[in-house]
This record gives sequence, structure tokens and C-alpha cells, in this order.
Amino acid sequence: MMNKKSIAPFVFVGPHLILFLIFILIPTLYGIYASFTQWNLMNDPVWVGMANYKAILFDESSTFHNQFVNGLSNTLIFVGISVPLLIVIPLSVAVALEHKKVRMKGFIQALLYIPGLISISAAALIWLLIFNKQLGITGNLFHSQAAWPATQPYAWIIIFVITVWGGVGGNMIIYRASIAGVSRDLYEAAEMDGAGAGRKFISITLPSIRFPLIFTFVMTTAGAFNVFGQPLMMTDGGPRQTTHVLMMYIRQLAFGHGESIAGMASAMAVLLGLVILVISALQYYVMNRNAH
Amino acid sequence: MKAKKMALIMVVLILGSMTILAGCGSGSDKNTITFWTPLTGDDGAYMDQLVKDYNATEPEFKIKHVITADMYTKISTVLNSGKGVPDLAIIHADRVPGFVKQGVLEPMGAAISGQPEITEANYLPQAWATGNIEGTQYTVPLDIHSNTMYYNKDLLKQYGVESFLDDDVVTIEEMLSLQGKMEPDQYVVNDALLGWVIMAQIQNLGGDIQENGKPAVNTPVMKQAFEEVKKIADAGLMTPFGEDGYLMFQAGNVLFSTDGTWSSTAHAAVEGLNFGVTNIYSATPDKFTNRASSHLFAMLKNDQRTDEKEAGVGAFLEFIRENSLEWAKAGQIVASKQVIESPEYDQFMQSFFTSNEKEVESLYIYTYEYYPYVAEAVDTYCADIVRGNVDLDETLATMQKFVEDKIAESSGAAGTP
Repeated sequence: MMNKKSIAPFVFVGPHLILFLIFILIPTLYGIYASFTQWNLMNDPVWVGMANYKAILFDESSTFHNQFVNGLSNTLIFVGISVPLLIVIPLSVAVALEHKKVRMKGFIQALLYIPGLISISAAALIWLLIFNKQLGITGNLFHSQAAWPATQPYAWIIIFVITVWGGVGGNMIIYRASIAGVSRDLYEAAEMDGAGAGRKFISITLPSIRFPLIFTFVMTTAGAFNVFGQPLMMTDGGPRQTTHVLMMYIRQLAFGHGESIAGMASAMAVLLGLVILVISALQYYVMNRNAH
Repeated sequence: MKAKKMALIMVVLILGSMTILAGCGSGSDKNTITFWTPLTGDDGAYMDQLVKDYNATEPEFKIKHVITADMYTKISTVLNSGKGVPDLAIIHADRVPGFVKQGVLEPMGAAISGQPEITEANYLPQAWATGNIEGTQYTVPLDIHSNTMYYNKDLLKQYGVESFLDDDVVTIEEMLSLQGKMEPDQYVVNDALLGWVIMAQIQNLGGDIQENGKPAVNTPVMKQAFEEVKKIADAGLMTPFGEDGYLMFQAGNVLFSTDGTWSSTAHAAVEGLNFGVTNIYSATPDKFTNRASSHLFAMLKNDQRTDEKEAGVGAFLEFIRENSLEWAKAGQIVASKQVIESPEYDQFMQSFFTSNEKEVESLYIYTYEYYPYVAEAVDTYCADIVRGNVDLDETLATMQKFVEDKIAESSGAAGTP
């Protein structure tokens, strides 16, 4: 009898558990192990203890230290600007679409959602042409003399444009679904008490979609830390490596030119993982506490 | 009972799917030669055609061509697991020293022993030599693909500078003579493959990227190479920083484009672009160099590859040696002398680079073990140096350190600190 009871849950969770073990847990553990080694992906990893971490964190003359510092600060710039944009814009759109007079809601929603389905490389080609000095709008419409992908702050601007363009739809769908779940009674009661649109949004909508907000905030932040495709395709890290994000350095070390430097790359990846973990935990803690 | 039954079904399903997944790797059958290439571009189609033609001859071992994106990463994966190692692969010249040091390449000797024509004498010398490490031949070359300089015939005429081409060396000095004479939005040269151009100047100026096996990046020659090329940018003759100089050449606004042999097909497709090909510009009138690489056939270590199969590889390589005219269509300089000496080859633009002894010599393949790191450093920093965005001395020191740090890591990983 005991047996019967204890097997059933595993049957349901089993397939996921096995996939989780094979594709997430074991690679993660191996990655952490690799970060304590020198490894070229060919020979056996050579254990070096904390040497990789020491070089990355404390050896200021080391190339890897400079790459890590530059990569992480560029990544933080990206996170700091893109995450608020990817929360505020989808939320505004979702709220705007709730208005009675807005027509073709489904069509507008689809229009904003579709860019997220397009592969980043195809999208980047289109956007690079749009921002091309000779062929695109920057030179012809704005009369800008700069080549945007190679000049700051334009290089960052085009990265944010493509990020917002591709990322608005996902969060918007979540917000629309949660706003639809808020009881109409609350809004009607508020209207009777003379509340305006702003008051209703702050006092009813926002508290009611607290959990979707926390969820999207944490997930968008974690996703933004892993940024790779946009700067790679739009600016290739330039100009002067000012848009070169950490994931690009990690990939170059592990799978770039010549022999792989996978140990150092793993150490950088573990450090990035720790940063994401700490920040996500903080976000969750602060937002959840303030919500009460 | 129901739960038990379900558990059983689940286990069967999971095991079943795992067997299917495991099957993905080891699909090679006994009479097929699995052939991996990194040819993800248009050139992959030309290789497909060559393989198809070979298989049509009903050989004992048919070839299965697998175009593999991220091939080098996948190679390290299969070598580690020992499963699904391809029988034959195309690798780039700069990978050979590293692979040989790591002991992952099988010498070609056994495979080509039955092919009397696959010898050094029948291939372009530097293409053959890159696969020879301490007397052992590890690769057989397919091609040389090189940095080349295309010129716009109409623009040369318009500016009256066709004489630049007379001695096959366009010097930086000649280019500078056009300063102040260019129409608005027209330029003398673009910055395509700028890193390769710098690598060529190092040879032109008599330098190298290594000294006794140690990387030599922060050197007077490297500095001079950058300074010479920088003169063109300083004079306002290079296409503006960050703009697509390749497209500007195709649009007919640039005299010279320093890209690759393989671009000739793309340029030819541009209507109204009247272009020719010559050597990369040089800092000196005495020498010209076209920095090159090579696609090489190689066999990765694999215990399951039988002697018969290796002989099958040899037969395929002999077919390629005789029939790789098809490969010239991809714009590459074919390595087989039989092909490049045939009259049909003359129709291809890149035949310019094998038209005489001096041209053949100009195709320079770097064989320094850590060349990929040096090239990465040059590629990363060259544009900013040439445009004067960074301090040259400081950046050269950074580049030297960049290469040294990477070498220290990789040699540590190879167990030779």
C-alpha cells in the first residue's frame, strides 16, 4: 500500500525531473566545477582552485578582470535602462487597451506581440538598415551625421529600440490577462466615490496585479542580465567595447577563436549567475514586503 | 495497481525517448564516410554538388556531407564523448597547430598511401605545408581563401589613376596622392577585413607575430603597420567609421575594397559594377602580401574508422583533387595544381592569384600556434586604432597582454604551464 502511494507523485513529476537533471542540474554543477579548472574542452580539466576567480575579481592587470568589469558594467547599464522600459511600456499599453473606446484590441495586441517571435538576427538586419546612415532614417530624416552603431550614445539607443520592439509583447499579454481578472465591481465602486482614471490605476489596478508585476519584474531582469543577441548583432560590442556585454565575453572565451578558455568562461558565468540570483532575491523580497 | 502500470508506461516512454536521442549521435553506417564542414554559407552548396558528383561515381564508401554550424564546439563535444566523431572534416589552417598539439588529428599518411597523386608537388605549396607539423602530414588542402583588393574600373579611370595597378602593388603613398581630390561621398578604400590588411602589412614590413614561439604584438613593426594604414584614414580617404564600406563599394562610391576572394560572386551580381581584382595595398613598393587561410581536409582521431574507410577517404580526396573546379565557383583559390593549371580555371577572377610565382608567394598563411589569439586581438582593436579613437602605444600593450593572458590559460589547460 505504501508503495502505491509513493510512486504516483514521481510518475507525474518524473519526466520533468529527468529533463531537469539532464539539461539543467548536471550542466550547472559541471559548469561550477569547470570554473575551478583550466579547461580547453579537449583535454581533461586541470584543477586550479580559486585561481580563475582571483584573476577575474582581484588581478587588475589581467585581461579577464578588465573584460569582466567592462562586460558587467555594460550589462548593468542594459539592465538598468531596459527593465524599466520593458515594465512601464507594456503596462501602459495594457491599461490603454482597456479603455472602452479603443477598437481592434486583438489586432493591436497581435501587432505588438509578433516582433517577439522574429529571430533576433533577422530583426537586427532590418533595424540596421533602418538605422543605416545612407539608406535609413537617421541620415535622411534626422540629418544625423553619425553612424549610429559606431557612435555613443546612439549605439545604446538602437540596442534599446530593438529590445523594446521585441520585448513589449510578452509582458503586455501577462498584464492584459491579469487586468482582465480584476473585478469590475471595484472600478464601479470607485467611480461612484468619484475616483478618476489615475486614482483607479494606482489604487485598484496596481495592487490587484501585484504578483504578475513581481513575476515580470524578476523574470525580465534575469533575462536582461543574459543579454547577448542585440549588442552582438547591432553593434558587435562597439564602439570601443562600450556595448560589449558579459555574455559576449563569456562566449568568446569558451567558443571563440583558437583554443577554448572554458574554465575562465565558466567562472565568469558563475559570477554572473550569482549576481542574477542576488538581485532577483532582493527584488522579490523588497516588492513582496512593500506589497503588504 | 494503476499507478504501477502508469509508472511502467512512463519508464518505457522515457527509456524509449532516451534511446532515440542517443541514436542521434552514432548514425554513421559502415559504408558511409561522415564528412563535417563548417560551410554554412553559399559555399556549402558547391561542396554538396562535389559530394553528389562523387557519390554518383558509385564509390565503395559514399560520402555524407553534414554542414555543421558551430563545428569546432561540436568537435570538442564528440571528441570528449568518443561517439559520433566524423570520419572526415574540413578545418581551417589556423586550427591545425592546436589540434596537433592536443593530439586529436590522425595523420593522413594511411589514407593517402594508395593515392600516388596526392603529394606536395600537386598542391599550392603553402596550402600543403600548413598541414605538415614536424614532418607528419595531417591535412590535405582544398583551397586557399585570401584577402584581396577589388577595384572599381570606372572610378580608377575617372580619377585617372589606372597607373596604380601597373606594378601590381598599390602603395599607401599612391593612395595618399588622391588626398583632396575626391568627390564628396567618394572614398579611396573601405575598411572591410581591416584586421587581415594589418596582418599583411606586418609581412610587408618584414616582421612577424611571434618571436621564438612567444607572441610579438607590441612591436615596432606592428606599430608601424597601424601607423601606415592610419595615414589613409587620417587623410579622410577611408570610408567613414562604422559605415558599411562593403556596400559603399558595391554602390560604386569606393575605388578599392579589401575583402575576400569569395566576395567576387557577390560583387559580380551587382548590376553596373565594373570591377577587377588586385593585391592588398602595401606600405612599401617592394613587397605585397595577401593574408590567407586555407580549408583543409583532416581526420579527427576515431578508433572506429577502419583502414578500408581511410582508403575510401583517400579516394574521395583524389576525386576532389581532380574535380574541384566546382569549388572555384565559390570564389576560392583551389589548392589542386591540376585544377588551377587547367584552362577552364582562367575564367575565374581569383586565378589572378595563381597567375605567376610572385602572386602565389603573396598568399600568406600564418602558422603560429597562437595565431587565432593574435588575430582576435588585432580584430578587436584595429578599427579603433586606425580611426585614432584610442592611444596606439597603450592599446598595443593591452593587445600584447590580451594574447599572453589567453596563452597562459590555454597552455595551463593543456597541462604545460
